[in-house]
Amino acid sequence: MIVRVLIAVFVLLVGLSKSEADEPRQAFFQAHCFECHDANAKQGGLDLSALKLELANDDNFARWVKVHDRIKSGEMPPKKQPRPPATETAAVTKWLKESLIKAEQTQMADEVRTGVRRLTRAEYENTIRDLFDMPGIALQGNLPGDGSAHGFDKNSDALDISHVNMAKYVEAADHVLDLAIATQPKAPTVQTRRISLANSGGFVAHVILNGDGVLLKNKQPDPEFPPAGDQHHIDEGAHERIGSFRNGATVGLFRHEDESLSPYFIEHVTIYPGRYRVRTSLWSFQWDKGKVLPSRGTEAARLSVVQLTGDGRGGQHPSYVLGYFDAPSMDSREHELVTWLNHNELIGFNTASLAPVANYNRKGRAMAFTGPGIAVDWLDIEGPLHDVWPPRSHRVLFGDLPLDEFKPAEKSSVRAPQRKQVRQLGAGRNRPDPSQGLWTVSSEQPLVDADRLLASFLPKAFRRPVNDDVRRAYVAKVDERLKVGDSFETAMRWAYRAALCSPDFLYLVADAASIGTDVGRVDDHAFACRLSYLFWNSKPDDRLTELAASGKLRTPGVLRSETERLLKDSKSQRFIEDFLGQWLKLRQIASTDPDRKLYPEFNPYLQDSMVAETRAYFRELIDKDFDASHLVRSKFAMLNEKLAVHYGIPGVVGSQIRRVDLPADCPRGGFLTQASILKITANGTTTSPVPRGAFVMDRLLGQPPEPPPPNIPAIEPDVRGAKTIREQLDKHRTDAVCASCHAKMDPPGFALEAFDVIGGLRTRYRSIGDGDAAPRGSIDPFIGISFKLGPPVDASGVLLDERSFKDVTEFQTLIAADSGRLLKNLAQQFAIYAIGRDISFSDRDPIAAIVANTQKNGGGIRTLIHELTQSQLFQTR
Amino acid sequence: MKNRNRNNLSRVVRWLVVLILSLAAWRTANAAEPIKHQITGLFSTDREADLRATFKELPEFKLVSIDFKNAEASFEYDPAKVFPNAKPEQIVERFENVLRQASRHTFGIKPLRSLPKDKLTLIEIPVVGLDCKGCCLGAYDAIYKLPGVEMATASFKEGRVTALVNPEKIDRVELETALKQRGVQLKTE
Repeated sequence: MIVRVLIAVFVLLVGLSKSEADEPRQAFFQAHCFECHDANAKQGGLDLSALKLELANDDNFARWVKVHDRIKSGEMPPKKQPRPPATETAAVTKWLKESLIKAEQTQMADEVRTGVRRLTRAEYENTIRDLFDMPGIALQGNLPGDGSAHGFDKNSDALDISHVNMAKYVEAADHVLDLAIATQPKAPTVQTRRISLANSGGFVAHVILNGDGVLLKNKQPDPEFPPAGDQHHIDEGAHERIGSFRNGATVGLFRHEDESLSPYFIEHVTIYPGRYRVRTSLWSFQWDKGKVLPSRGTEAARLSVVQLTGDGRGGQHPSYVLGYFDAPSMDSREHELVTWLNHNELIGFNTASLAPVANYNRKGRAMAFTGPGIAVDWLDIEGPLHDVWPPRSHRVLFGDLPLDEFKPAEKSSVRAPQRKQVRQLGAGRNRPDPSQGLWTVSSEQPLVDADRLLASFLPKAFRRPVNDDVRRAYVAKVDERLKVGDSFETAMRWAYRAALCSPDFLYLVADAASIGTDVGRVDDHAFACRLSYLFWNSKPDDRLTELAASGKLRTPGVLRSETERLLKDSKSQRFIEDFLGQWLKLRQIASTDPDRKLYPEFNPYLQDSMVAETRAYFRELIDKDFDASHLVRSKFAMLNEKLAVHYGIPGVVGSQIRRVDLPADCPRGGFLTQASILKITANGTTTSPVPRGAFVMDRLLGQPPEPPPPNIPAIEPDVRGAKTIREQLDKHRTDAVCASCHAKMDPPGFALEAFDVIGGLRTRYRSIGDGDAAPRGSIDPFIGISFKLGPPVDASGVLLDERSFKDVTEFQTLIAADSGRLLKNLAQQFAIYAIGRDISFSDRDPIAAIVANTQKNGGGIRTLIHELTQSQLFQTR
Repeated sequence: MKNRNRNNLSRVVRWLVVLILSLAAWRTANAAEPIKHQITGLFSTDREADLRATFKELPEFKLVSIDFKNAEASFEYDPAKVFPNAKPEQIVERFENVLRQASRHTFGIKPLRSLPKDKLTLIEIPVVGLDCKGCCLGAYDAIYKLPGVEMATASFKEGRVTALVNPEKIDRVELETALKQRGVQLKTE
């Protein structure tokens, strides 16, 4: 042993320069580290005696950071070894920290920390939406996917650009200009249409004929349309022609959307993109073999937007969900919303809260069925709604220039502007307005107007003042096009398209003149962008731009009030959704389909409710400025009826998410035990403590585990119920190499074993093989269950610091007690998201300062956001 | 010379007046005379009300009477006015198009039967199904256009489909086959 230590010291001394040899680490490492981490022992693959201090080397730097962190946290030396005196530990970590910061700062002296990056797809779409006041234009689906680095897509490391991107940007710009520019002198006629769910071509009529729905009048079966029984209705076309579905009857539906049923209100297929008012009247009932009775409670229906594709029969799955709406028992309730609809989009419907039942192939069909139904009296759709014409999108481009009819005979030297023919897919009964001829923007002084219009547009699009030279280059493009015979509109389109495809628009750029000045502060306009792309995922509005231009934006009071304004604006929901989508991986909510035999109660309504809970909860934490312990534990949850039933919490009625106080012993509330997180961290069939533990360590505690060593197969949980995952992991953990990491990440995962793959609380594993008969519990009586109850769940564990917990509630208490750690991680996640780069070693002190200031001011999450925006870290490149 | 021209002119005028008055009288006489057609889609007595409702939307035609037993109806209309430029043999076809359009293809017109009723056979087929106008239309549609079918009715309430047929062209088996193909359940099944 002595010989080994002597050799190690010799190697160490040889390996160090003279100045380094004087460092205090030698004695410390020799006394406390080399026994396990010298050339002979080399535990964990680390030979500290040979590890030179070559911090300019990235790998070397990372290794020393790890050494620093292990000593600082007390993880090393291991607990079983004698503890080094605190002063020695402090000295060596101080020295290491200073060395690392110095090295990092030296290396980054000439670098810009946050690289120039392009907009993400979501940022691009939102920027266009806000620039042109077209709040629902769909663009990001046609752009190539973004990469991700350090947990988020807002990072230059991940946002490359290729010829594919550029081609798509050109297409997108053309699409935007097609929609933005007015081509008729009057706004399209507002059409109002009342549509029955059994509308022609909309699938539902067919299932009603066969007993999966009924027609109702005055909340009783329609006397002219008997429900299908032993006989079904024949010949759908004959019923449509004779008007069975056009007599004002209400449609009562028992069947859920499935592979062969997609209920649509297909009689409106959008021709003119824009805002539409949608109203519907819903109620629920209990169907009892031909009788309409009060329902079991308030049911929920889903309205969605469906994009028709191909020949108009496509679509199937909703493009996006408009919302879930209550259908109270025997009481028609009207719901109204205004939404943007794109070309060939229509409204879809689903009986969201009903179990998937089908009567069409059962004896007696509807007349033998007893169960819940959702009734749709009608759906009204009105639009497109324009409060001004030409629309604002047009005015952004052409101001108040008049629209005139283009008469080729009068302008023989000018090419007429091109117009795209709009093709309406599907069976829409709304019709385009008769053409009023070819209309276009006219200008008496094209170049003067071009200069004026571009002087107004370019700064808005580029999010900063634009030099005269740049503007003139765009005007020159217009001039060039006019000279070759383009109309004024077409010539201006060239300039606008070029602007929308230029780096000034596509990239978030800082003013070059300010780089390197004022300790790397971003210029005022870039700072305005940093704020707006953080909270709105979009361009700054006029007020932010004005404040940036006047140089007042950084004034602490102004910055604080602007941060508040941005957070209170409805556009901040984009931040909630985008940040949570990445931080807590909510974007992956649908990446697994729970096994239908094991989890038959899972459906899209439950999944959407899960996501809604997490978003609403985060919004509540910010709005009420709750502290970071709420990330893992809370006395309230944000629930609707669907989730409340899933969680076993009584007294919640309806589809809307609201704040619900939790019983004292309820583990729900924090992110840790929300069904969305529990689903994301499972594979759809089984749970494993390993990915769940890794998620908690990485996303909530800010201590990402080491990646698994190569060639180690994943543990496959046993769904037959013979062996629990804990038993399998115990075997795995007997390997010392595995044990060191698993000791950290398994305990949180063990605690979360109390929840199944869809976030249901469990005391026994579900099994599709061996086991006892399972009670139905809160599962809808119309859902068949075939799973069994397997081995009991053990949710106890021991943390690395040897604190033990017997269940998930105790685990929550242990984790919540360290709210500083939770807050620090959240600060880091916010910072990475906000400034578009990873947090480096030298950023730790600024982060610590943000956390300390937050704690000094109550520790709330809204306070943390303010501290971040006020910080040097946020305001510098 | 001047007088001769004047006499000629007055003769032409008189002749024109007579011609115009004759034409007007002929047209009035024709317009007033009801025109009878066979009606398709009149498969049950409650369809009479539907037919009347349909013609309320067609003011250029006056529905004078309905003969359900023979699936016929009488109308007053001016063919020259409602179907300008149509040849006489095209009138029924044009009327059929108008009526089908107005009734969403549930009623139609066809020429009156050429065979006397005593040469036709009434076939009655017992059926089971829902008391629903749409289903009846479906059953009726299955058979009324078959060659040899002169007239048909369908009523699931009464549980029967009837067809007045030319027995030389069609028989019961063909009718039953057509009904079954449409999804109609025969009572014997």
